[in-house]
Amino acid sequence: MASGTNGFVEHVLPNGLKIVIEPMAHTNSAAGGFLVRTGARDEVPQLAGVSHFLEHMCFKGTSKRDWRKITNDFDDMGSTYNAYTSKERTVYFGWVRVDDLEKQLELLADMMRSVIPKEEFEMEKKVILEEIAMSEDSIERKVYDLMHEAIYPGHSLEWPVLGTKDSIGRLTRDELHGYFQDRYHPANMVLMVAGAVEPGNVIEMAQRICGSWERRSPRPERSKPSENKRGVRKVVMDRFQRQAIGLIYPAPSALHEDRENGDVLASILGGQNSRFFWNIIQAGIAPSVAAGRLDYCDDGMMIAFGFSEPDRCQELLDAMRGEMEKVSRGGVTEDEVQRVKNAPARHWRPKPSALLPAHADDQRHRRLRPAAQRHGAARTARCRNTEIDTSLFGTLAADRRGCAGQPRTARLAELRD
Amino acid sequence: MSATEIFHHRRLSCGAEFAAVELPGRHTTSFQLRFLTGMVDEPVDKLGLARITEETIAKGTEKRTAQELSDAFDAIGAQAGSGVGRETIVFRCNCLPEFTGEALALHAEMLRTPTFPQEFCDVAIELGLQELKAIEDDPSELASRMIAPHAFGDLLGRHELGNAETLGKIDRTAILEFWKRNFSTRRMQVTVGGKVDVARFADEVDRLFSGFGKDAAAGQGDLTVKFTPGVHHHMKEAEQQQILMCWPGVAVTDKDYAVERVMLSVLGGGMSSRLFTEVREKQGLVYWVGAWDDHPKGSGMIFLGASTTPVRCDLTISTLLREVDRLSEDLTAEELNRAKVGIIAKTQTHGDITRARLGELSGDLFHFGRPVGTDEKNARVEAVTIGDIKRYLSEHPRDRRCVQTLGPRAMEGVTK
Repeated sequence: MASGTNGFVEHVLPNGLKIVIEPMAHTNSAAGGFLVRTGARDEVPQLAGVSHFLEHMCFKGTSKRDWRKITNDFDDMGSTYNAYTSKERTVYFGWVRVDDLEKQLELLADMMRSVIPKEEFEMEKKVILEEIAMSEDSIERKVYDLMHEAIYPGHSLEWPVLGTKDSIGRLTRDELHGYFQDRYHPANMVLMVAGAVEPGNVIEMAQRICGSWERRSPRPERSKPSENKRGVRKVVMDRFQRQAIGLIYPAPSALHEDRENGDVLASILGGQNSRFFWNIIQAGIAPSVAAGRLDYCDDGMMIAFGFSEPDRCQELLDAMRGEMEKVSRGGVTEDEVQRVKNAPARHWRPKPSALLPAHADDQRHRRLRPAAQRHGAARTARCRNTEIDTSLFGTLAADRRGCAGQPRTARLAELRD
Repeated sequence: MSATEIFHHRRLSCGAEFAAVELPGRHTTSFQLRFLTGMVDEPVDKLGLARITEETIAKGTEKRTAQELSDAFDAIGAQAGSGVGRETIVFRCNCLPEFTGEALALHAEMLRTPTFPQEFCDVAIELGLQELKAIEDDPSELASRMIAPHAFGDLLGRHELGNAETLGKIDRTAILEFWKRNFSTRRMQVTVGGKVDVARFADEVDRLFSGFGKDAAAGQGDLTVKFTPGVHHHMKEAEQQQILMCWPGVAVTDKDYAVERVMLSVLGGGMSSRLFTEVREKQGLVYWVGAWDDHPKGSGMIFLGASTTPVRCDLTISTLLREVDRLSEDLTAEELNRAKVGIIAKTQTHGDITRARLGELSGDLFHFGRPVGTDEKNARVEAVTIGDIKRYLSEHPRDRRCVQTLGPRAMEGVTK
């Protein structure tokens, strides 16, 4: 058991399952979950959407439980539970009273050994097709997918997490089962627990519950996307009233040394009390403009995105580009960086003294997920903030490692009606 | 859990009603300033005014510009936000204990000495007009906006954005007048929780807000929900149909509120609930389905909702209604117990979030006029029986309901 100075405890079971624990003595509850290192980018085109479909099927039956017993057991504990799938991971979690933690972990672990029941497969396919239909009615979802299509053509990061009506329609239960067997094993998973727990007890629980899982070799490295595409993509969708604009620039990946700088720059550009807020929204150009860093294990994107009325689209685009140019030329100020460090979302005290450990387990658990997956070790807010190097910002925005880049390198993904 | 809840409740000398919950062991402080004014106080020709006022009140004070005010909150790492509702406008803040005083003082400055700069008033109205159009891209929100007047009446069913015509009639003078008329300590409820020196916080509220809004109007009395049953459809190009239906329930203060909570939990409380099971798991009709309640002061409304592709809409609606009916026929003790455990367990898990616990206290002060302990609420839930739920359903039948659908196909069968 490795107990770091950062407050996290990490341990690896003999079968290779990594465990990350954050004890929070002041709470009455505990959250636990499994992170599986598989998502849309780990799929092949003919199986697009299989990771997400599998997430649904893990709720449908194990050798010990049918779908009804799985959901009954969750609700018998009063658990707050769910699962989600992204480009690089699938996460299952539950948040319970601390006395129910072992029951919760046993249930989640049982789901990780799903039998993928044949009799539930076609019914769940209908549910997923409804989910795809729902996403078709969301301009935000369309923009997200379009941006990935524009930047990663031909690479698995291009494909939508939900898959398509065609790929889901063609998917068979056996294909899904094969994918499951290939991905859901200890070397490809992390168990995360946060809350009113004693780490030694959690590790013993994990050994009891997951210790018999077969040890397997880690999966091969993911294929890195090639040089990102540049240019302008436009899609006309008459259904929507608004027009969406996305400006996409290179940015540090999840493992890049400048990742925190990238996040700080995104906050300065497009967070609350940001340049976009004061210079675009409060100029009355558009009610919704933001910036953020999408990071994957080997690539990253800084995206600036906004929604406006069609006749103000050019004005919005000019304003967004103007802000990107300004930050490329002039960098950011010390005050702006400090403001981001102070923000509650970073759980940081303005004084460089201690962590703000006040938020409850579900919040902590949420933050553990990317840390556990990508960085090899969970990182506290203090750790993250010490990675911020304000001296870099003058050049960061403009050079090739950078977060903003030059406007001429901008790629535009645009939806218009 | 509530063994560690220590409540304080009194009227402060500044006129505000004050309640606090001490939560030993917490690391943050959370407070709310709730003004008993909202959309119901808007002039009928200026709908949207409450939200515009709430938006612009943070855009500068006599001492600071809008940006300086935001920077001041950020300098202490305070998480401040606000929201406008039918009957109240709430300002919320979460911060480290050592900055509670500063955060409260910033709120007092913002609320007492706003300058409502002309340029920010103009922008707020312009953005409001744009957001109105943006709702067209959000089918779920659009359906909610459409059913609200039928569910609650023209007054309580108002939407925070008003409409294009009424937004166009709002100006800085109207904003200023709304603030002067409706913001005062007499119409202010202050709640605080977490790690806090309660007496000191109360003293600070008294000092900072003394004399605030002396000339403001008295608040409106109890407002009555005006429910209108019926069936409404809005044609819209979309992949899915939105389905909303509602019928009157009970007030939060009603003796049957706990019965309503348990009934809703059985119906739509988790993945084992009847709606999730019957509509999604057994028939694959939807991705999303739910049941919830909404409570203006002194009343309540039960809602069911789902979205599905048009061809499945009629079957989805009939399944929703059938499941409500079936609750009176075959509700099991196992389901009842599961629903109770779900409600009670979440008071303990979600109660670990200081701002969530404080939000509940603020809501209790608004609805009950006093803090209500977790144990008291949980005891009411524990006492609910199958007979109570059957009685509740007979006294609040789904027959007299309002249905709103939105999508590419007019519905059949929704009146059955």
